[in-house]
Amino acid sequence: MAASRDDFVIAIRSAFLKKSTQQKFSLLTLVIASIFIILLSSLNFKIITYLKVGINEVVYRSSFLVSIPENFINNTFSEVKDYSTFYSNYKKDKKELNLLRSKDISNEITQFENKELKELINDYVSTSDKLLAKIIVDHQSTFLRSIIINKGTKDNLKIGTNIYDQSYLIGRVIEVNYKTSRVLLLSDLNSNVPVTIVPQNIQAIISGSGKKHGKIKYIKDGVYDSLTEKSIVYTSGTGAIFKSGVPIGKLVIDENESTLKFNVEFYSDFSQLKYVFAEVLQKTETKNLSKSTIEGNDSFNNTLEAKLKILEDKTKIFEETNLKFKEENENLESRNNDLNTEIINLKDQISSLKQTINQFNLDQDELEFLKLNLKYGHKCRKSFLNNKGFLVETPEYKNCVLNKGIKIND
Amino acid sequence: MINFKSQGLFSKIYNWLPVIFLFISVLNEYDLNYLNLKYFSLNFPFILIFFFTLKEFKNFDYFLVFIAGLINDTVVGLPLGISSLSYLLICFLTSYFRNITIRPNPIKDWFYFLFVISLINSINYSILTLFFSYNLILMVYLVNTFFTFLFYIFFVTIFKYYLRGTND
Repeated sequence: MAASRDDFVIAIRSAFLKKSTQQKFSLLTLVIASIFIILLSSLNFKIITYLKVGINEVVYRSSFLVSIPENFINNTFSEVKDYSTFYSNYKKDKKELNLLRSKDISNEITQFENKELKELINDYVSTSDKLLAKIIVDHQSTFLRSIIINKGTKDNLKIGTNIYDQSYLIGRVIEVNYKTSRVLLLSDLNSNVPVTIVPQNIQAIISGSGKKHGKIKYIKDGVYDSLTEKSIVYTSGTGAIFKSGVPIGKLVIDENESTLKFNVEFYSDFSQLKYVFAEVLQKTETKNLSKSTIEGNDSFNNTLEAKLKILEDKTKIFEETNLKFKEENENLESRNNDLNTEIINLKDQISSLKQTINQFNLDQDELEFLKLNLKYGHKCRKSFLNNKGFLVETPEYKNCVLNKGIKIND
Repeated sequence: MINFKSQGLFSKIYNWLPVIFLFISVLNEYDLNYLNLKYFSLNFPFILIFFFTLKEFKNFDYFLVFIAGLINDTVVGLPLGISSLSYLLICFLTSYFRNITIRPNPIKDWFYFLFVISLINSINYSILTLFFSYNLILMVYLVNTFFTFLFYIFFVTIFKYYLRGTND
């Protein structure tokens, strides 16, 4: 037992410490050095950072050179593939171009409006300058999705600089060297982007999946039903990490038997990137800007005064017209009152006339009855000789008289 | 197989080929990922380091392996020193295995390689997730380990042909 333990210790000691003729350092020394480097790289010492930047510069360039043959083969293959589908793509592109041209004009207007609104909301104006950068290293690693571009601190790139393919967001800078930078792609697992999904106008956070697409990481409960296929996903600008309103991709609903997944199909194909745009933002305080312009520019004051005068004139005109309208209104109101009283008087007149007419009609009837009564009263009146007659002043008697002596009962 | 024993410059280049390949593979991330095959990935440096340390190849310096690890970290974007530690641990485990083996057997080597890469990938994954808060997919590591294990035999056959042409 003791002998086997001794063998084990000897084997380990030999593996760790023994240097053969070709080895300059023992394994133990190098393992300790590795652990030391890991610890140092996790701490942000300035010297280590500079050293890292130096190593990065050299290694990225070397990696670019070494990758040339492989990239050449890959590019040749993709170019051959492109040629084979050239004509069909040309037709498709032509159609799309016409459509996009028409959309471009309205887009420009919207952008201008958007800029103005942002100036109102924020207290700074951001002027952007897009730099064209070449991808020097793109190895599509198994675990991390990142690329190296040939722009660095020399070109004002900073950690967090947004990187675009055309106008589509593809990632942000996570490491800056003097002439190179590492860009973390949106497809990386460690990438999180606050987004807005339209037309539903839902806020969410998307992260990479380590594959070609992204996935929705956080979304408010209960809004899943409203999400539809092909909804557009763009940056919301929450957290000020990414610029707002930059398109990212389309929503794809992956519906299995048991699960419902919401993926984001990126507009840009990250495996086909050759050149990208880095957006260098320069923020200027609007308050300071306005102060300095007012102080230094008299013409600006003049135009302001002229504008104020025009506005004052306009107000005067409005006040005058307002007074006129008021007077007219008062006149109309008094006239309206007069007319109302006239209507009431006329109504009274009508009612009195109606009464007179009714009275006249009654008198007319009475006269007719009296006339007939003289003529036919004896035929209707009950008497000794006329048993079938009626008593005077009864309705039957009146009817009999009006019927000229004819008794209805007969 | 061509024998370069008597040829000066070519012989030197030939003898340094494993180291050259190691550096090319770390600089170029030669892992066949550009094929874009689903669930396919391979760690070529692991195979290379394991085999040539096992064979105690004379030009395969641990210091160069250490440098290769640093380059790999820089290219991939991992914290500096992680890959160096992984590569050196492979060297250590292989060296230990060589010391305790009396009669070498390719199948034993192959399964020991599976144990080594599983252990190294586990350490790698643990360090990155626990100390550096990286989000990593465990399945990708497992698939990578599996394919590296499978391709070991294929590359070992080629390396054996190579060794026949060297002075070793």
